[in-house]
Amino acid sequence: MIKRAMVLVVLLLAFQAALATNYPLTVRDQLGHELTLPRAPTHIVSMIPSDTETVCALGACDALVGVDAFSDWPKQVASLPHLGNANAPDIERLVALKPDLVLTDEYSGLAARLEQLGIPVYAGTPQTYQGALDFLGVMGRLLDRQTAAALVRGRIEGQVAAVAAKVAKLPRVSVFVELDATPYSVGPGSYLGTLLEKAGGRTIVTRAMGEYPQVDPEYVVQQDPQVVLLMDAPYGQTVAKAEARPGWSGLRAVRDGRVLPLDQQQVDILSRAGPRMGDAVVLLAKLLHPGHF
Amino acid sequence: MARALARQGAARRTGPGPLLVSGLALAIVVVAAISVGSVRVLPGAVLGALLDGVRGHHSGTVDTIVWQLRLPRVLLASLVGASLALAGATFQGVFRNPLADPYLLGAASGAGFGASVVLVFAGAVPWLAHVGVGWAAFACALATVAVVALLARQGRGLPAVSLILAGVVLGSSLSAATSFLMLAARDRAAGILSWLLGSFAFASWDRVAAMLPLLVPAVLVLLLAGRALDVMQLGDESAAQLGVPVEAVKLILLATATLATAAAVSVAGVIGFVGLVVPHAVRLAFGPRHVRLIPLSAVWGAIFLVLADLCARTVLAPAEIPVGIVTALVGGPFFLLLLRRQRSGS
Repeated sequence: MIKRAMVLVVLLLAFQAALATNYPLTVRDQLGHELTLPRAPTHIVSMIPSDTETVCALGACDALVGVDAFSDWPKQVASLPHLGNANAPDIERLVALKPDLVLTDEYSGLAARLEQLGIPVYAGTPQTYQGALDFLGVMGRLLDRQTAAALVRGRIEGQVAAVAAKVAKLPRVSVFVELDATPYSVGPGSYLGTLLEKAGGRTIVTRAMGEYPQVDPEYVVQQDPQVVLLMDAPYGQTVAKAEARPGWSGLRAVRDGRVLPLDQQQVDILSRAGPRMGDAVVLLAKLLHPGHF
Repeated sequence: MARALARQGAARRTGPGPLLVSGLALAIVVVAAISVGSVRVLPGAVLGALLDGVRGHHSGTVDTIVWQLRLPRVLLASLVGASLALAGATFQGVFRNPLADPYLLGAASGAGFGASVVLVFAGAVPWLAHVGVGWAAFACALATVAVVALLARQGRGLPAVSLILAGVVLGSSLSAATSFLMLAARDRAAGILSWLLGSFAFASWDRVAAMLPLLVPAVLVLLLAGRALDVMQLGDESAAQLGVPVEAVKLILLATATLATAAAVSVAGVIGFVGLVVPHAVRLAFGPRHVRLIPLSAVWGAIFLVLADLCARTVLAPAEIPVGIVTALVGGPFFLLLLRRQRSGS
């Protein structure tokens, strides 16, 4: 018994050692800039909500010293200093926190400014399902949390595979995702389009229309979606207002009572390409195939 | 007429007084802006870091905050404020129209369009990333005003009405194109919008250095133009009779002011109302003579924008308000107030 336990421990240690990061570590971020970390970072600033979630999912939440104003999950990050957002950052306070790693986007220009100031920065945040899975691996290496990264990735892929197995036998549900009332929606190539696909759904938007097209209201009526997801419900959209639109009374989604308002928490889960992607697919599967999940 | 001008000048205090007072005010505002920020640093520590830096010792967080963040930010705000106000005063003088401003000729919408194109397509088109947002904004601002001038040209003259009409129309088209880019690339929309609203959050010594070679010659040219502008207020024909080459002076002044505006917009985004409000306030306080109006507009433009940026980064700290929103919120009502005062005064 003891022998077997010892073998297990040795195996586990060997496994850990094989997955340990060797510092100094040099990686290229998504801008193609080199970043060298002398040791595992202990003072991390995240300027992107999904990056904050990733850091915490890998068990490094305690190393976070500051986050952007939109980072709100997990709850413990709420007490950290808020540093504005990547487009309007409080660089002064960020510098005063003396971070040894800053995670930010590749477009705002914050990365370039921090590089000038000699602060280690990784620019680039995933926009796709596959990108987010790969990003877990990158963060695992940066933070010396490769085992945790593999586990989180495994959990997401497990959730998605379980949903896929069930929805394979179910007919695909056609969905109109309403980002806002103008109305903007999502195409099959977008992040949310990919999640819908994995959850046994299909956006009524075609690939040719683009990733985030403005849709002709007539097109929505003509496509007659089975489900409408109101992503704008946290910002004042209501089921009653949506159903009162011209031509909507005859829609399958309206007749079946499947115009579904999402709350802020659900919208966050569905729009952040991070460690909760598995939860996002399960959530969509429940909304599209009630009774099966 | 020259006597009328002289009398106008004598009615106000002459001499270097106003310029000295204004310069002193600018110095006080700059020191205050360097001392205040979202991180509390005691004035003694700020002074210490400044002195250490002057002696060549750079180390520590306070040094980074003072030398790498606040100092370039305050300097950039004052340079941009001075450029915008100078350009506004020049345009108003050239067109003899209190509403004239380089933005009116499409400089702002041109810059906004150039910046958005880079912000949206830099990922897909590598050479755009190399051009960068600043240069694209600068080039498009100049190109837009040049096209407007070509469209408005009649013979050898540049009639104000055609210029402003062409500017407004081309500007609207470019703004529409920018809005379309924002909607088409939703994930970049926030970045484009913050750029359009103007910000000094990313101020750095590089940007200060990029401004200077354009700004210094422009300021010198515009400062020298005060006397010519004063004569031109008598009307184009009278000015020509007094020996001012009116069309040439107009062209040089408009080009220089546009250059200064394009440089300002390219480093800080589209910041409105500085070019409009500051020259008006200066005219009211110190009189309408351009010899004085032009340099004082520069100084008070700097003061106004440094204060506006101080509000932008402290009022809602740690969140920043785009500085263009501050200048519009303060400048708009202030301008209306000036308008009322002017009307009741006349």
